[in-house]
Amino acid sequence: MANIREIQSRINSVKDTMKITNAMYMISSSKMTHARKKLADTEPYFYALQGEISRILRHMPELRHRYFSKRENVPADERKIGSIVITADKGLAGAYNHNIVKLEEEILAKPGIHKLFIVGELGRHYFAKHGVEIDMNFQYTVQKPTMHRARDISSVLIDQFLNRELDEVYVVYTRMENSVQAEAEVLKLLPLERASFNEMIMPLNMYREEIDLYPSAEIVMESIAPNYITGMIYGTLVEAYASEHNARMMAMKSATDSAESLIRELSIVYNRARQAAITQEITEVCSGARAQQNK
Amino acid sequence: MDTFGLKVIASDRVFYEGRCRKLIIPAPDGQKGILPNHENMVIAIAVGIARMELTEGEWTEVAVGTGFAEIVNNRVTLLVDTAERPEEIDIRRAREQRERAEEQMRQKQSIQEYYHTQASLARAMNRLKLARDKRWDFK
Repeated sequence: MANIREIQSRINSVKDTMKITNAMYMISSSKMTHARKKLADTEPYFYALQGEISRILRHMPELRHRYFSKRENVPADERKIGSIVITADKGLAGAYNHNIVKLEEEILAKPGIHKLFIVGELGRHYFAKHGVEIDMNFQYTVQKPTMHRARDISSVLIDQFLNRELDEVYVVYTRMENSVQAEAEVLKLLPLERASFNEMIMPLNMYREEIDLYPSAEIVMESIAPNYITGMIYGTLVEAYASEHNARMMAMKSATDSAESLIRELSIVYNRARQAAITQEITEVCSGARAQQNK
Repeated sequence: MDTFGLKVIASDRVFYEGRCRKLIIPAPDGQKGILPNHENMVIAIAVGIARMELTEGEWTEVAVGTGFAEIVNNRVTLLVDTAERPEEIDIRRAREQRERAEEQMRQKQSIQEYYHTQASLARAMNRLKLARDKRWDFK
């Protein structure tokens, strides 16, 4: 039977840890609510942009634009592939970071010249240690995503894409399916895919409105496409932020739960030890008294 | 007088949704006015000040960022990255933003950074312009 004092100090240390995990749980849950609200606020803008691009594509199927250029003449092993990897700044979030890293390693295994743009301290450390090329000037944090940061990030990437320093751009992030499920996902950012703006299939005899694009389709597209990309990046940042805190919330919840059950077990052991000590003392006293009587 | 449906969507919220009588927007080559029953059109919008007449003779001014306006079947959707009313603009912040941008413009920059600060300066000037028109106590 363990020492009573040992058990006591063990219980106290578990209680202290539980206070921390419980606090982190509450912090994450409030951050997650914020993130979800942000996402809901920006959704109308984003969907309207997407709808507009699909409308322009529908009206101008022949439109060729530099954001849509697939650059098929570049062979597979010379393609410069950039990935934005969104991880957390710290661990303690279950498998959240691990899933992202695993997904990115799958991309790295494919042919091409890879370049990473990492958002989040943990991913930066991991890939720096594994000797992958990382854009070191790309220092953005995942905390509190803002439109401003998304604009900064997208301007860097669009610039490199248009200067042919990158041929394809992906985002590796975690998408929230619902409040229990989140899944790491790869999203193709550039070049824009016609297929992803799923064109509405209309009956042939339906009247289709004619739309005039002013000053020209190219200029309108030029002003929409960067905003759309910024919007996508912002969306993924917020989505990842929400999933990170969801993951951390769940991890901390289970940590708190297991701390509670550990405390319950330990206090039973503690009480038993205490009982045993008392019983032993009584026995000692009784046997001592009896020994005295028998004299 | 006829009206048309107007929806102004900024990147962080739906700014306005309702009927409108007249709308003036800043296009890249000057201002454009939209009246009810306008031809279907998509117009690019530059950083500037949009005006909307919501009720007879009452104009509301909005500082907008880049984006576009879409007119389909007498419904106008204004999709811009920022939209602010004059009273929402923080003059001090806008002025600081302008100073920061001007300072950065003077320093050596890559082309990309140059465009970036130029855009930021344009947004700051636009905010200040709208705020200055509205507030007589501004010096």
